[in-house]
Amino acid sequence: MFKKFQDTVFEGIQNPKKRNFILIATFIAFVLSVLMIAPSKMVLAKMLPGKNNDTFTIYATLAEGSSIEQTNRVSECVAKYLKNEKEITDFEIFLGMGAPLDFAGLIKGSHFKNSENVSEIVVNLTKKHHRDEPSYFMVQRIRPEIQNNCTKLYENTTITFVEPPAGPPVLAAIVAEVYGQDSDGIRTLSNRVKDVFEKTDGLVDVEVMQDEIYDTFEVEVDSTKVSLSGVNIKQLNDVLYLAFEGMQIAVKNSSMINDQIPIYLSLSKESKKFSSKDINDIKAKLSSLKLMNQMGMMTPLTELVTIVPKKSNPMIMSKNLHKMTNVMAETDMVSQVYPLMEARNTILETFSDKYDIEKIGLFNLRLVDKTSKDVYELIWDGEMEVTLDTFVELGAAFIAALVLIFLLMVIYYKSYTLSGIILLGSFLSIIGVIVGHYIMDIFTADTFFLTATSLIGFIALIGISSRNSLLLIDFTASLMRDSKMGKAEAIAYASATRAKPIFLTAAAIILASTLLAGDAVFGGLGVALIFGTIAAVVASLIIVPILLYKSDLNKHFNLDEE
Amino acid sequence: MMIHYKPTDIAGKLASGFLRNPLTIVLGIFLLSIGYLALNIMPREENPQMVVSGSTVIVALPGASAAEIEKAIVKPLERKLKEVKGVENISSMAMDNVGVVNAAFFIGEEKENSNLKIYDKIMQNSNMFPKGAMNPIIKPLDIDVDIPVISVAFYSKDANMSKTELYERVKNIQHHINGLSNVAVTELKGGNRHQFNVEVDLNKLSGYNISMGQIVQGVQSLSYSVPAVKNRTKENEIVMLGVKNALESADDIGNIIIAQYMGSPIYLKQVAKVSASYDIQNFKSATISKKNENGVFSELQNQVTLTVSKLQGTNAVVIADAVKSDLETYKEYLNNNNIGYVITRNDGERANEAVNELVFHLLLSIVIIAILLIIVLGWRESLIVTFTVPAILAITLFVAYLTGQTINRITLFAFLLSLGLLVDAAIIVIENIHRHYHSRESANKSVDDIMVEATDEIGPPTNIATLAIIMTMVPMAFVGQMMGQFMKPIPANVPVALVASLFVAYIFTPYLAARMLKKPEFHSEEKH
Repeated sequence: MFKKFQDTVFEGIQNPKKRNFILIATFIAFVLSVLMIAPSKMVLAKMLPGKNNDTFTIYATLAEGSSIEQTNRVSECVAKYLKNEKEITDFEIFLGMGAPLDFAGLIKGSHFKNSENVSEIVVNLTKKHHRDEPSYFMVQRIRPEIQNNCTKLYENTTITFVEPPAGPPVLAAIVAEVYGQDSDGIRTLSNRVKDVFEKTDGLVDVEVMQDEIYDTFEVEVDSTKVSLSGVNIKQLNDVLYLAFEGMQIAVKNSSMINDQIPIYLSLSKESKKFSSKDINDIKAKLSSLKLMNQMGMMTPLTELVTIVPKKSNPMIMSKNLHKMTNVMAETDMVSQVYPLMEARNTILETFSDKYDIEKIGLFNLRLVDKTSKDVYELIWDGEMEVTLDTFVELGAAFIAALVLIFLLMVIYYKSYTLSGIILLGSFLSIIGVIVGHYIMDIFTADTFFLTATSLIGFIALIGISSRNSLLLIDFTASLMRDSKMGKAEAIAYASATRAKPIFLTAAAIILASTLLAGDAVFGGLGVALIFGTIAAVVASLIIVPILLYKSDLNKHFNLDEE
Repeated sequence: MMIHYKPTDIAGKLASGFLRNPLTIVLGIFLLSIGYLALNIMPREENPQMVVSGSTVIVALPGASAAEIEKAIVKPLERKLKEVKGVENISSMAMDNVGVVNAAFFIGEEKENSNLKIYDKIMQNSNMFPKGAMNPIIKPLDIDVDIPVISVAFYSKDANMSKTELYERVKNIQHHINGLSNVAVTELKGGNRHQFNVEVDLNKLSGYNISMGQIVQGVQSLSYSVPAVKNRTKENEIVMLGVKNALESADDIGNIIIAQYMGSPIYLKQVAKVSASYDIQNFKSATISKKNENGVFSELQNQVTLTVSKLQGTNAVVIADAVKSDLETYKEYLNNNNIGYVITRNDGERANEAVNELVFHLLLSIVIIAILLIIVLGWRESLIVTFTVPAILAITLFVAYLTGQTINRITLFAFLLSLGLLVDAAIIVIENIHRHYHSRESANKSVDDIMVEATDEIGPPTNIATLAIIMTMVPMAFVGQMMGQFMKPIPANVPVALVASLFVAYIFTPYLAARMLKKPEFHSEEKH
């Protein structure tokens, strides 16, 4: 078999037609495979794919100012649907607080949750080995049902599904940071961005990180009356607080109980409820509260104050000293890159009615309000940003690896041509990596993404395939030097002899990587190694011999002098 | 037996040095045992540790609106934190009454140092906060301590159990579990605490013409504890005189006189309902629903979740098991009190499963490669290469242990990745030995000479080729961000495995080959 291969190589490299045909075919294959990523989207890029977990968390957030009873109703609605699932073993509802912290929660600020309008539901599933449906498919399946039925109970309710991330956690798959000077302007703009996200295919769990503005009342104190009646404002505040919020006014130590026992004072639940949200009902209730001055005289609270309706003060957020609001969205089993581009295009097309839009940076936008001339900026962050950074850095690492290998080869061979051949041979393995991803994508149910781990596999491949070429060239050199073989003969003999260990090591890599290929996160690495190695073997046994034959080996091996 | 061949490369030198050395076998056994040791004592976790630092500063200014908070607290604080070196992002929230500023450091900035810098900056500038602001609360981010590795939900099987009883019982267990070694923080979520509730009826209050302030004064004046008074008798004996707390039960509180009305005293119980109950103002609660054997979910029951986090660098698997067995000892206590529990998170088990699954994959790959080699090279050669794999992995594991790494998914993936690469050196050596053994030119050479020569011959290209692969891994170590941190075990371990593979291939492959391979009788044709 190897003898036959030796003859084929021997004839092949000496036939200029075959030679050029192979080189041109390789070049075309290379260009085509690169095209598969960029414009055609046949191979999709994503930082890390989803991971099959035994658990996920559901965050329910009601409008600011909602009561715990309302939150409970939404949570129980979610629970009702969870009970239909046969793969769920148990679930826990945490009302008014975050669930026990996990990686995703840490970034999403779950540990700071402390209000009546939030709840988190931890869902535990059966072990993934005994379950047919991966958790990400399950989430995708139950998400629309739960969101459609439970978010409509109260206006502005959002329910999001949080899965443990496969890699480092991020705030959300897509985050649009809307920067500006004017809070109302930011609010308007971010709500429009939110609408765009909601209409974009592939985006789910859309949320704006801002408080809704709701109706409140303010107690305005008449300071003249307060001082005339001999009470002070602190007293007034305390009474209001005591009456409706209640306060721990004293403690009692106990040896039986693990904590101090507080004595808590408040109006009884029944008597403190306002009859309605109407201002007159509130006044009526407040008139029953009285303040006592130092002389023991009683003054009804309503005598000292006026009650005025007002709007609530929404939270003001800023990042790096600039005022901003986040609009966040998760992706529904698709890469975040393409929905982001789609949303960005929609913004570019439809926002021009109110804003002058200018592109800044790679994807970011600057919007200028046509009437008020206020400037807003829309900066993309989240997984998208991390992906971009990671791909850029891994790309840089890739180039650095190429340079290092080239220098190493130049030191070893003292020839730029030979080093160039090795590098070129290694570079061709990219064809295998990309085609491999395309093939895997056809054969797997969900999209098989080109991920960060694919890139790592690709970087490792350059080393592996340069090793193949190196052993080949080294053997050719020793044949020409020691056995005084002719160029074509030496190349052919070396290719045939080296073919066995090259095949063996390639087979070892491929076999070791097949187990990697099944993993969600490292599948990209496995596939890159499997198909890249195949391409590398072809490159080092066919392309490298041809290139070697075309170069002046006597000169490069320093044989002329001897 | 003498070796006549003069090796020129380190490969041949190592081969000739160890070929007839009696210590070679000892070295082999030693390597395997330190690797096995490392595999067992290294902490296991699911995901690699990431160095993420950050602090959140919370400052309350009661009564201020969001806009006021932004100007008086958030903006000055942001400017000060911006001065701290290593801070990547500052995000802040200004709400009514409180301002929250979070400083996130660049990934990889050391935790202790970063926390200190923030603390230092706040303390140096503590005068920048406005009058009336409460002391700033600085909460450093600590992944190890903040993220529990195990959580247990306790629920009552008895519907009549009071809300505080469950909490009290779990609190007893919590204290014990906190005492287990390497447990950092335990916390309870959900549940209700004991509290005396004084619920005033607004109508009666106005009927008696009493203010809330009078009730406060009345209660506070009687709920005062003092230490016992010490005095001496004439004979200088010490006599202690204790003042008993006036309030012992809900009845005591109800009997407090809060005012006089038309000459007669008004007791608290006349205007309010006093009860020894739970914290009614606490809106937080936790419930659980779990599936029984028949596949039917229970109704939502009140529960208390106990979370346990571990100290940095400790083994989640060990802690999870300790907590589990500790809970077993409480089984009777819990049963007697009608309390059931569900383990709702077990990262230790998860990590152990992930690690064991990957170790299994690793072994499977070794077997598959061994079978491949048997087919192509013959079973003796295959056995030799198969031995080198655990030896190389053992060295790599031990180095990983020495450098303070943990066994996690990514380390094991690094091993799987290097598995394909690290058999190469051994395959190349054994293949060359095989070729020399079966070639007619070496028929007259001694076994040892063939071994050393065959090893020496492929030394230089193998060294350079391995160096080339290491070179590709080096730049990866400089990838920053979360992803760089996450992937760090790959550039950290693959080069070690590759260097180890060279040494093992040069030392053990000729050593084993000389003893295990049979030199063919050379009259026949070369087979390959």
